[in-house]
Amino acid sequence: MGPIISVRNIEKHYDNLNVLKKISFDIEEGEFVSILGPSGCGKTTLLKILGGLIQPSRGTLVIKGGSVKIARERREFGFVFQKPVLLPWRTVLENTRLPLEILGRSDAPEMPANLLKLVGLERFGNFYPNELSGGMQQRVAIARALSFEPSILLMDEPFGALDEVTRDRLNLELLRIWKKEKSTISSILFITHSVPESVFMSDKVIVLSDRPGSVQQIVDIDLPRPRTTKMKYSKKYLELVQCLRKTLKED
Amino acid sequence: MSKKNIKGRLKQVLIPTSLFFLIIIVWELVISIIHYPEYLLPRPSVIFNELVINFDSLLYHTGITLLEAVIGFVIANILAFIIAVVFAHSKTIKTGLHPFVIALQTTPIIAMAPLLVLWFGTDIGSKIAAAALVSFFPTIVNGVKGLKSVDDEALDLFKSLSATKWQIFTKLKFPNALPYFFSALKTSATLSVIGAIVGEFVGANKGIGYVILVSTYHLQTVKMFTGIIMAAVAGMIFFWLVAMIEKKIVFWQKS
Repeated sequence: MGPIISVRNIEKHYDNLNVLKKISFDIEEGEFVSILGPSGCGKTTLLKILGGLIQPSRGTLVIKGGSVKIARERREFGFVFQKPVLLPWRTVLENTRLPLEILGRSDAPEMPANLLKLVGLERFGNFYPNELSGGMQQRVAIARALSFEPSILLMDEPFGALDEVTRDRLNLELLRIWKKEKSTISSILFITHSVPESVFMSDKVIVLSDRPGSVQQIVDIDLPRPRTTKMKYSKKYLELVQCLRKTLKED
Repeated sequence: MSKKNIKGRLKQVLIPTSLFFLIIIVWELVISIIHYPEYLLPRPSVIFNELVINFDSLLYHTGITLLEAVIGFVIANILAFIIAVVFAHSKTIKTGLHPFVIALQTTPIIAMAPLLVLWFGTDIGSKIAAAALVSFFPTIVNGVKGLKSVDDEALDLFKSLSATKWQIFTKLKFPNALPYFFSALKTSATLSVIGAIVGEFVGANKGIGYVILVSTYHLQTVKMFTGIIMAAVAGMIFFWLVAMIEKKIVFWQKS
């Protein structure tokens, strides 16, 4: 079977502003891929193109053998944004249920509650978003993204606004959820500007150069899974972090 | 509630109330001592006495004014809401109509009131129209702002789920605009009382504006004061009512 996402020569420009230049890469089934780059290099734009929210100016994009439009209609994508974007007038449980409501699906009424349990918020279903901490809000956003069982998770610096401790914890949790037995998530595309985070999470890191963003290097991360906090002290991990830091600086 | 909090709240009430009574007492004493003519500035005790004696009649007139204000307010805000929705969704319509909305808004209501009486008669119709006219604009302006203030990422979230326009409106844009709408409704609640009274000034046989105007003709300053007090109370009651509803509906907004 071919790659789950195949990107070929994607370009994007707004008027005279070149945002993305000749982006090509593949994401395989079951892969965790990070896109690493300085801010303003077009990472978010790339993610939105992959999710079908923005049209590329040029290039082709094949998702599971079909077009982005078909993939979107099949609900293949779950989005997690930088901000949790929870609706403040809905409880945590109601926020988690939002995608199912929009899709008009009533076949899985217990799903939102189960997902809250999965992200460790089962006791907070009736709370309102403004009663939760930033980390908890982002957990709700993850539960919401999982609610309609997409196969690809697109995450745009989901933990970028959190403190380091919370961020590390949520990183581990995301990996646990992804590798869970019944998980429907096959591949994850994860945008970050943190080198250590990208190494710790991924099978593959795509380094983008400064604007216009282009693929500078694709680094395979051959650390064993499951990843553990201990690995952050391993030689291999530190080497990879250093290597990626160098690549970013060369830019 | 903590002890400190109660103390703070008490202070918040106690200081203005004591100041109020202090002013009343000074006012009463000064007027009594210098024998200032009552038709210019009556003593508070005299005003209070008049208020008690005439309370039934005052209540009737205040009720009329409030009725006019509320009906005008309701009509205006339903219309304004619809217009705000149209404006927020069609740039062409907004560009075409916006100058007229501004022109209508900047025309003083007092200048238009005689025309309204001519069109809608001296009964409550013209007052309702005046109340509606003034309470119309805050809702349009704020409503459009609120409907457009949707977070880009929230919109992306809905789009990623291929949500319909109707779903985006009912589940995102409308609830998101509610705080904006309510802040406009509070403004237009007080404005609508002003509109109704202005309408009554031009030609009426009932309402608090009528009471104030007639007492001016007869130099009944005491009665005039009672009218002013009732007008203020009417405005406050309406504002408070809307604020209470706001607290219930827009519960997620921290004041």
